[in-house]
Amino acid sequence: MFWLNWRQFRLQALVGALGLALVAVYLLYLGMDIRDAYDAYRSRCTGPAGCAQAGSQFQSAYKNTLLFLAGGLGLIPVIIGMFWGAPLIARELELGTHRLVWNQSVTRRRWLIGRMAFVGVAAMVLTGLIALLLTWAASPYDHVASDRFGTVEFGARNIAPIGYAFLAFALGTIVGLLVRRTLPAMAITGVVFLVVQFAVPNLVRPHLMAPETASLPMTAQAINQAKNLGSITGAPVIGGLRVPGAPDAWISQTSPMRTADGRTVDESTFNECLNAPSKTGAGGTFGDAAVCLSELDLHVDIEYQAASRYWSFQLAETGLYLLAGALLTAIAVRRVRRA
Amino acid sequence: MLRAEGLTKRYGRREALSGVDLNVPAGRVVGLVGPNGAGKSTLLNLACGLQEPTSGSLRVLGSRPAASAAHLARVGFVAQNTPVYPSFSVADHLRLGARLNPSWDQGLAERRITQVGLDPGQKAGRLSGGQRAQLALTIAAAKRPELLIFDEPAAALDPLARQGFLVSLLEFVAELGASAVLSSHLLSDIEQACDHLIVLCDSRIQVAGEVRDLLAAHHRLVAPRGELDRLPAGVEVIRTEHHARSSSAVVRTDLPPSEIPFRAEPVTLEELVLGYMWRATAPVAVAGEEARCSG
Repeated sequence: MFWLNWRQFRLQALVGALGLALVAVYLLYLGMDIRDAYDAYRSRCTGPAGCAQAGSQFQSAYKNTLLFLAGGLGLIPVIIGMFWGAPLIARELELGTHRLVWNQSVTRRRWLIGRMAFVGVAAMVLTGLIALLLTWAASPYDHVASDRFGTVEFGARNIAPIGYAFLAFALGTIVGLLVRRTLPAMAITGVVFLVVQFAVPNLVRPHLMAPETASLPMTAQAINQAKNLGSITGAPVIGGLRVPGAPDAWISQTSPMRTADGRTVDESTFNECLNAPSKTGAGGTFGDAAVCLSELDLHVDIEYQAASRYWSFQLAETGLYLLAGALLTAIAVRRVRRA
Repeated sequence: MLRAEGLTKRYGRREALSGVDLNVPAGRVVGLVGPNGAGKSTLLNLACGLQEPTSGSLRVLGSRPAASAAHLARVGFVAQNTPVYPSFSVADHLRLGARLNPSWDQGLAERRITQVGLDPGQKAGRLSGGQRAQLALTIAAAKRPELLIFDEPAAALDPLARQGFLVSLLEFVAELGASAVLSSHLLSDIEQACDHLIVLCDSRIQVAGEVRDLLAAHHRLVAPRGELDRLPAGVEVIRTEHHARSSSAVVRTDLPPSEIPFRAEPVTLEELVLGYMWRATAPVAVAGEEARCSG
C-alpha cells in the first residue's frame, strides 16, 4: 500500500514540496526583514508619543503584506481539497482504475484508509509547516499589533490551519466519491470549503467558549481609542474598541451605543454629534464629536474573550475541524464499499 | 464456485438482473453470453463485489464476493475495457500487483510480460488495446487466484489481438488450474474457450449448462410446414423458422432421437444460443412460449 500511495501521489508531492520551498524562502526573508524593522522601531521608541508613532509606522509597513499572506495561507487548504482530495477517488472512478485496484487483495476500506492517511498527513504537514513559518515571521508584528484574534490572523497562525487542511482534504475526498467526476468535485469542494471558511470565524468561533460581558462607558477618551465611529446607514455604532486593562482581549460582539436606561441612542442625536458638534477645540481621533457624544452619558455592552484563552481557542477550533474531517472520513470509508 | 439465488439488481427502476438462479461448478471455463445490455457486466461486477445486489444472494467460492482480503486474493478480475493506470509503466503495474497481493507470483508475471512482448518501461497509457488487455490479464492472473473473471475483455480488440488474448487466457487458466468466467457478446470467443455456457438475455438466464450436454440435448427438426405443431410431450421448442414449404425448429429434449417423429439434426452452439436469444427478445407472438422457458 505504501508504495502505491507514494507512486500515485509523488507528482502532487513534488509540486507541494516545490511550493513549500518557495514560500519558505520568502517567509524566512520576510521574517528577517520584520525583525530588522522591529529592532529599528524599538530603538526609536523613546518617550510615549514617539513610541506610538514608530509603532504605527512599523505596523503599517507590514499590515497589508501579512494580511495578504494570511489570505494566501487560507487558500492552501482550499487548493489541497480541490487538487488532492477531490481527485483521490473521483479520478479512479473516471479512469475505471478502481476496478483494477479494488480487485487486488486489499479491501476497499483499507485501500481508502491507506490513501487518505497518506495524503491527509501530507496535507497537514505542508499546511502546518507554512503556518509555522508565517507565525514565526509575523511574531514581532503580532506582538505590536496585538490582534491575534483577528478574523483573518487567527486562522493563519499556529495550529488552526492544520485543522483546515485536514477538513478540506476529507471534504474533497468524499465529494469526489459522491459526485464521481473530478472537475465537478473540485468545483464543489472549493465552493463549499470557502463558505465554511467564511462562516466559521463569524458564526462559530465566537461561541466556542462562553464570552465574558462588560459595559464600557463611552467617555471621550474611550471613543477616541476606537477605530471607527458611525456607519453609512446612520446606525450609532462604534468599532475597534479595546477592553480597558485587557488590551489583547478579543471583543466578539459590540452593541450599538446605548443610553443610561439601556436603549439604543436616538440616531438623529448621534449623527448630530457626528456631523455638527459644538466646537470645543478638543484633540484626538474624533475630536469634537467624541466630546459631544461623551456628554450624552452613553455606554456599549460588549462580549469578549480574554487574551489568555487564545490557545484554548486555537485548540478548540483545530479540534473542531479535525473532528469534522474525521467524521467525513468515516462516512467515506463506509460509503466506499457501495461505490 | 458461483451460486446465485434470486439475484436481482436494479438501477433506479430498470432491472439489470431479475431473479437469477445459478449454480456453476468449479473447474470450468464458463462462457457468459448475451447481447449488449443483457446484464452480463452487472452479473460479473456483482460476482467480484464491485456492486451489491438489490436483493437475492450470490456466493463466490463459498462466500460473499469481496468479503475479505483473503477472499479478494482468491478471485482475479479483468474489467471491461481492461483499465490500467495511464501514468504507470508496465513494471509499475507488476509492482502494484506484488505490493497488494500476498500470493503474487512475480516470476509468472515477468515471464508472461516477456512472452507477449511488453516493454516493462513502457507507460501503460501508450499501450495498444491488445497490449493493455494482456497487461490487465497478467495482473489478474499473477496473484494466482482460484477463479478468474473476465468482463468482455476482448470486446475492443481486433481479431488478431483477440485471438492472442484468448490463447493467453486459456494458458493462464491451465497453468493456475483455475476456474474462469468469461463474458462476451461474441459467440466465437465463447465457442473457442468455454466448456460451460450461460446465456443471459433480457436480465434473465435463458439457459445454462455444460456445452457438451447442451449440444446433446438440443436438435434441429425439419418438417413440412405446419407439422411441427404436433410434437410429443417432453420436446420444448426454442425457435421455429418457417420457409416456403418446410419449417425448422431448434428444440430441447431429453428423448432419444428415435422417439422424435421428425428428422433430428445436431445444432451448432451458435444456433442454440441464437435460438434462446431470439426467444427472449421476440415480440408478443411467442409470448405464450416464453412462459415455458426454463433457466
